Amino acid sequence: MPRKSEKGIPVITGMIIALVLVTLTLNAQDVQISFDRYHGYTGTSEYLKKVNKAYPGITELMTTGKSTMGRPIYVLVISNMSTGTTIDRHIDLRNKRKENIQNVPPMKIHQGKPGHFISGSTHGNEYTGTEVCLYIIDKLVSGYGKDENITALIDSKAFYICPVINPDGVFNSVETGIAQRNNSMEKDDDEDGKINEDGPDDIDGDGFISSFRYKDDEGRYIIDDDDPRLMIRLGSDDKTDKQRYSVIREDIDNDKDGKRSEDSESGLDLNRNYPEGWWKDDGFSGGSGEYPLSAPETHAIAEFFSNYRNILMAQFYHTSGGFTYRPMGTAPHPSLNPGDVAVFDFIMGRKYLEIIGEEVPEAWLHPDKIEQYKKELAETDADSYSKSRGYKLPRGWRVSYNEEDDERYGYGMATDWLYAQYGIYSITTELWNPEADIPGLKIPDDENRRVAVERALLKYQDENYNGDLFVEWKKFSHPELGEGETGGWKSLYARNNAFPGEPLLNVCEKHWQFELFRAGLLPEIIIKDVKSQIIFSGNTNEGTVKRNDNEFRVEQGKGKGKYHLVEITAVIENTGALASNLAEGEQLPGNRQDVAWLVAERDNIEFIEGQPFVSLGSLGGTKKIPGVRNKPAKKEVKWIIAIKDNTPLKIVVSSLKGGTVVKEINIK
Amino acid sequence: MKTKNIYTRITLIIIFSLLTAQLIYSQKKMQKSPGGEHGELDFSINWKKYYTYEEWTGIMKDLQKKYPGLCDIGSIGKSMMGRDQLLLTITNKSTGKHSEKTAMWVDGAIHGNEVNGITCSLYLAWYLLTRYDYDPYVNELVDKYTFYILPGLNVDANNSYVEYPNTPNNPRETYRPEDNDGDGLYDEDLTEDVDGDGELSDMYREDPEGELRLSADGRRFVDAEDGFEGLRFTRIGSEGFDNDGDGRINEDDIGGPDPNRNFPYGWSLEAGNPYPMSESETRNVFEFQLDHPNILASFHYHNTGRLIMFQAPPPTRLSASQEQELREQTETRLEEMRKTNKYVQLFPRRVSDEYQHDMDVQTKIVSEGAYILKNYTPVIGGLSGQANAATYYMLGAYSYLIELWGSPVTMADTDNDGRLSDDEYMKWIDLDLAGDGWINPHKVSHPDLGEIWIGGSAKKHMQRTPPSRYIEMEAEKNARFVMYCASQFPKVKIDAIKVKAITGNIYQVDVRVENESEYPTSSDRSVQLKRYTPDVLQFKGSDNITLVETSGKDLNEGPRRRSSYFRRSDPGPETQLSAGEKTEFRLKGKEKRVIRYFIAMDGKKGEADFTLTSKKGGSDKESISIVIE
Repeated sequence: MPRKSEKGIPVITGMIIALVLVTLTLNAQDVQISFDRYHGYTGTSEYLKKVNKAYPGITELMTTGKSTMGRPIYVLVISNMSTGTTIDRHIDLRNKRKENIQNVPPMKIHQGKPGHFISGSTHGNEYTGTEVCLYIIDKLVSGYGKDENITALIDSKAFYICPVINPDGVFNSVETGIAQRNNSMEKDDDEDGKINEDGPDDIDGDGFISSFRYKDDEGRYIIDDDDPRLMIRLGSDDKTDKQRYSVIREDIDNDKDGKRSEDSESGLDLNRNYPEGWWKDDGFSGGSGEYPLSAPETHAIAEFFSNYRNILMAQFYHTSGGFTYRPMGTAPHPSLNPGDVAVFDFIMGRKYLEIIGEEVPEAWLHPDKIEQYKKELAETDADSYSKSRGYKLPRGWRVSYNEEDDERYGYGMATDWLYAQYGIYSITTELWNPEADIPGLKIPDDENRRVAVERALLKYQDENYNGDLFVEWKKFSHPELGEGETGGWKSLYARNNAFPGEPLLNVCEKHWQFELFRAGLLPEIIIKDVKSQIIFSGNTNEGTVKRNDNEFRVEQGKGKGKYHLVEITAVIENTGALASNLAEGEQLPGNRQDVAWLVAERDNIEFIEGQPFVSLGSLGGTKKIPGVRNKPAKKEVKWIIAIKDNTPLKIVVSSLKGGTVVKEINIK
Repeated sequence: MKTKNIYTRITLIIIFSLLTAQLIYSQKKMQKSPGGEHGELDFSINWKKYYTYEEWTGIMKDLQKKYPGLCDIGSIGKSMMGRDQLLLTITNKSTGKHSEKTAMWVDGAIHGNEVNGITCSLYLAWYLLTRYDYDPYVNELVDKYTFYILPGLNVDANNSYVEYPNTPNNPRETYRPEDNDGDGLYDEDLTEDVDGDGELSDMYREDPEGELRLSADGRRFVDAEDGFEGLRFTRIGSEGFDNDGDGRINEDDIGGPDPNRNFPYGWSLEAGNPYPMSESETRNVFEFQLDHPNILASFHYHNTGRLIMFQAPPPTRLSASQEQELREQTETRLEEMRKTNKYVQLFPRRVSDEYQHDMDVQTKIVSEGAYILKNYTPVIGGLSGQANAATYYMLGAYSYLIELWGSPVTMADTDNDGRLSDDEYMKWIDLDLAGDGWINPHKVSHPDLGEIWIGGSAKKHMQRTPPSRYIEMEAEKNARFVMYCASQFPKVKIDAIKVKAITGNIYQVDVRVENESEYPTSSDRSVQLKRYTPDVLQFKGSDNITLVETSGKDLNEGPRRRSSYFRRSDPGPETQLSAGEKTEFRLKGKEKRVIRYFIAMDGKKGEADFTLTSKKGGSDKESISIVIE
């Protein structure tokens, strides 16, 4: 573990902090958090509980399910719990069935706000994402009441942060030292009658699970000339004169069946278990499950998204690479609505590349010239999808669909599923690119870039972490494989996670900025220009009309009191950057159009023109999306009603992902 | 002792020893008249009734208490509203563990309103348990096999349907809230019994511009002809109140996704949303089936239509003209076959070779089903996220979706035109049901709508679920169909052993094994899914006997097997060479197979044991000795 503590001030790009004191003061003690070490599952759970306790007015801690081994999967909600409203608080239900079925729980207040979901550690050994989630939580809660933008976001939006989707994988990877990408499963993988009896082991008893290397003429590794601590992996066709080695994770054959780690706790890859493009693949490590969402962890996430349909943005952190996948991987470019592609690439992708410091495609900088770019690209041998778009997707913002070979990649991934089936701007960021995240990392020249980076990282940890991330090779006699050496990167610092301390803080800050940007794009619906005009007032009676040819006989009933005939008009407007749904999002099952209700005590109101609620479609956003004709951001609503004097009246607008707002109407 | 065919060239005395281990159960009571009183008086159930959740689970618990040696009861999980889905596991516990016997799965009422399935499942359980001591047929089934019976699947909706006033169509789904009318509220406008008569009917309002009028006898609403001067009506909808004040009635009824679109095979977002296996009621069932691979066949009860919808293997893709040709061929052949058997079935589906046997087996089984059920029609079932599709396609078990009962056309179609006119229908109600099924139109005061009329429709158990007097009729024959299928679970045996002297001290030993039943020891589908255990013939010889190593290959002595319906003569059993001491194969339905060994024997006397084990087909053992005189 690095002993050098890093308390550097995070770099904040382009943000002006305005110190505005908000009336709502919180007696919150800031919850300290350090990024000098990984929090793992236990540390994360403790932190979430502390934050929830310290900020009860703006946080709620939910358990969305349990992992295979029974560990709760936490989601921290960050939203102002005393502002906002939901539609069910306004509509009075009457004459219900005597059966009294109670299957609909009251809506939580934050369900009436546009939602933003951020998660980490779908894969247990990719825990950098968990750290980024905790960083974002820290920024949000400590910024509330201090930073104007953050305060406004927390008041009007709902953040759902799930730092650990795979508790068992993270626990094993961080807290027991056994890196586990998949979830845990109690399965007898080798059908020997015992469950999970043979996994990796700390064979040399030094407290770390690193590697074991041994001379092997069939082996795929050679020792690096420059830094003999480094093992270089050769390609299957590569030839060498050097001594070949095999390298395995520290492991022995626990159950003496001739195999190592053939029945470990490791289960299936959660990011192959989602329903979009799923098929049963037993060839893939751990398989993709007996059926989609068979794993308790993915089941919990699916149930969560089915209940919190107000979510419009989602992020699933993985490692590594330093780039982001946007949908789709299981289907090619034409499967996405061009309006959604434009939002993803021109708006989000552009900002992302700016933040990570990579070049933005010309077509995104000058989208008005897109036809010209299409023509230029048509002359090249680019793939057909890039040609039809007018640009190739850059390294930093791409799809996992293989456009060049026109092949789908993978299946059952979360990002694809939420985009295609739930209508969410869902992305997967592969965190950690040491070249970008460690400024000044000296990378030596070498035609093998990967090896050069690893040499640089080895040196970096010598200088900055006292060499504590790497175990020096030392002789060890393996019971099955014979003479060799144990050593190598400690599994906790295997190269696919950001080094704790400053490198991790760099990763966190960049991605906090990006999610903050995305949160700022969320729709925000308001009701304005409410006018009520009384057409007629007077005492009224009940009446029924009976017809006899051209004679209409009116039977007068009892008096009802003073009534007004009123015309109500209002404008419903989305003041947010993005529309309240994806291009075709409102048509997906479980989603709906925005609606506007006119609500008053039922016995005192009668609708002459207009219905109690009107569907508004989806309201467009204010941001001009290049190449897309925005839906209108405003809609007018009108009713003519007969309403009893002194009856409270209000308009309630409920947008599934755009939030719910209410406006009282004063009839004069 | 079984007698076998023995063929010898040199005089050999072959001695058999029977080593089959089979517990012989001596029946406690014998039935006096077949098909007559059996054990129904030991445990009376009134079959002229639909039962609420409390009632039917109470009956299940009482059955288990009375027959503890034959029956276990347990929960496979909870419904959305927290009710246990209770399952009966029926088998003779003293002859083996339920999970180690070949099993039949039966579930009823996945659709909340199709509660006929509950009575049918319950009837089967009752029949098996009460007849066990009296009926040798039932006795054998319960000794050898396991029955997993889940009478109510969608338990929340099932209970509501029976206990409270409802239309024939609802509640069908599970209780996950859904916003059907897009107004932002979930399940906020349900049907209600406006006039408190215990039934849900239709609502009409007097309307001078309406298209309807009362029939002459005042019992129905019928089309009003042009120029009709009397009272006209417009239909409002199903009985209910405007709960949310949006001006519409019953527009967002209870329930969400269709549970029989929720299974993971052929699942689609449109039909099966929000996600596959989202409903605990369906997920519990599938997880149970995954954990119990001993299930070989499954029944899923629905209403209505008198159909046996069975799962068939995937069809080979054909051109339109090939499809047409196949249809015509099938029709012609079927016409021919029906001259001697009016219940025989044939389906215009071509399948690839590795699935031909499943197609044949299902055709045979449903033909017998058509005979047993008399007026049901077998059809090939669909996929689309249905339970029975997942059962066959993902687990390899033969599955049947039974649409119980059906419109009373067969009984009430007096003019034999194949349809039921309004008059014929009313006559059926009046005479067949003694008037007990109709709600006459009557005036009611409605808080939201004012003066309206309610009525002119059938009562609850009339259109989809049968009137109670027909419950036992449907249940009894469907139970017999299930039992027939169970009786066809694979049964393997060593049929005959022949020994032939070849030369010197080499002998050819042919062991003929057989599966006597219609179902194979593993379905084609389970073989393709690699979800099966092959049958094994294990050889063990005395020390002086050496087994000559052979390849285990088929010798293809008979012509290639084709569809059983088109086979003109029996080509004889397949012969395969042994593959060492352990030879693996899969016995199809009604298949005989010869495993050929070559053995060398030193000395004058040797023994050999043959043990046949089949995971789902049982086992058998024979020993021989070879003695040189």
